[in-house]
Amino acid sequence: MMGYVTMGIAAGVLLAAKGDVPCPPLWAALISATVVSGTLSFAIVPAFAASDSALAVALLTLGINFRYAFYGFSLLGRWRTVPLPLKLFLVNSLSDEIYALDVACRLKDPARYRYYCMWNHYLCWLYWLIGPVAGASAGVALPLPTNGIDFAMVALFLVILTDQIKGMVKKNV
Amino acid sequence: MSERILHLLLLVAVAWGVTFTLRAIPFILFAGRDREIPKSVERFGAIVSPVIITCLIVYSYAGLEWRTAWPYLAGALTIGLQLWKGNPLASILAGTVLYMVLLGCCGCQTSTVAFKQDIAHPLIHVTRHGLAFVTPDEDGKFKSVPVTPEEAVERLEDLGVPKTATIYVQVDDPDASQRALWVFKNNYLSRAGYTKSAWVTPRRAESGTAERLNSNLQDRKIPFEGRTFTPGQSGRTYRGRGARDF
Repeated sequence: MMGYVTMGIAAGVLLAAKGDVPCPPLWAALISATVVSGTLSFAIVPAFAASDSALAVALLTLGINFRYAFYGFSLLGRWRTVPLPLKLFLVNSLSDEIYALDVACRLKDPARYRYYCMWNHYLCWLYWLIGPVAGASAGVALPLPTNGIDFAMVALFLVILTDQIKGMVKKNV
Repeated sequence: MSERILHLLLLVAVAWGVTFTLRAIPFILFAGRDREIPKSVERFGAIVSPVIITCLIVYSYAGLEWRTAWPYLAGALTIGLQLWKGNPLASILAGTVLYMVLLGCCGCQTSTVAFKQDIAHPLIHVTRHGLAFVTPDEDGKFKSVPVTPEEAVERLEDLGVPKTATIYVQVDDPDASQRALWVFKNNYLSRAGYTKSAWVTPRRAESGTAERLNSNLQDRKIPFEGRTFTPGQSGRTYRGRGARDF
């Protein structure tokens, strides 16, 4: 949880510093409530600042969140009995760590598993909502040094890439 | 302003739509069937994702100070820390802090001048009512703001115009006093460090010859009507064809 919130704070600070948005906390809340994706929260800030076209943002999202398309396969069977409204919410907030927790859960009873998934997704969604809003508010209120804070986004990508390559190397070995 | 907000909302909606569709693809494709993913698809997903992220990293690096060594050092630190400790937050924080510190201490290579200042785009105008400075509006259009000589110099410095650049001053008022111009140049511009300046008439600035003159400024000599002007020397004035004395 703490990792989530702190990364969210970084995303919020980046949005307040570089994104040219009126009232950054509101936009941070909007972005993290709908698109529950950390990397996209970071990557959309330069798109905001430069007012990119919708097509550019669509391609960017497609590229960054492409791995989400593969998360649902493992959860197909276990989520079969979930009613549609709840399923929509679960699908919307399916992010990296949430997926890992869902898959690793060993509850057999479908009702209890449903309950677990619901609370898991909801809490992580809440944490991801708090982080960027707090970060954006701090970025607006405090005179934090912002020269070079774009690197946080690149650092996040580097970290993700390292983890992925490490996983690939492990699987091949 | 609201047009931009609508555009930003559109961007958020597009991002949301694409992400939701991506996440929902397995449920849409395989609804009702409990199938395993074919191995080729799984391998495809495992390969494509790192490739895309690598492209993203390269693209983002182009937006940083890529001519210097700082982003690469900070990137190496991030990767190294991640491999060593495995804590993503610490790695990101360390890399970002190192990059910001390096930028602050050792400076950036690319200077950021808000908008260019040359003979065709003079920043300072001498009008009937005094000096005016060209500033961009909220909508991105340019408008003239009346300023005092001190304010004009201050704005030049705020914009980051280097002291070695020639400051072009467009004289819109044909009856401008030569003495006032001399005072502005010597007592304000030169004192602040802008030792090179030149006057421009409106016809000169707006004419096509201004663009051609720009390219000739490289070798500091401009052939014009049989005479050569060397810009930057104090006291020289430009005369457009048919311009009146000012």
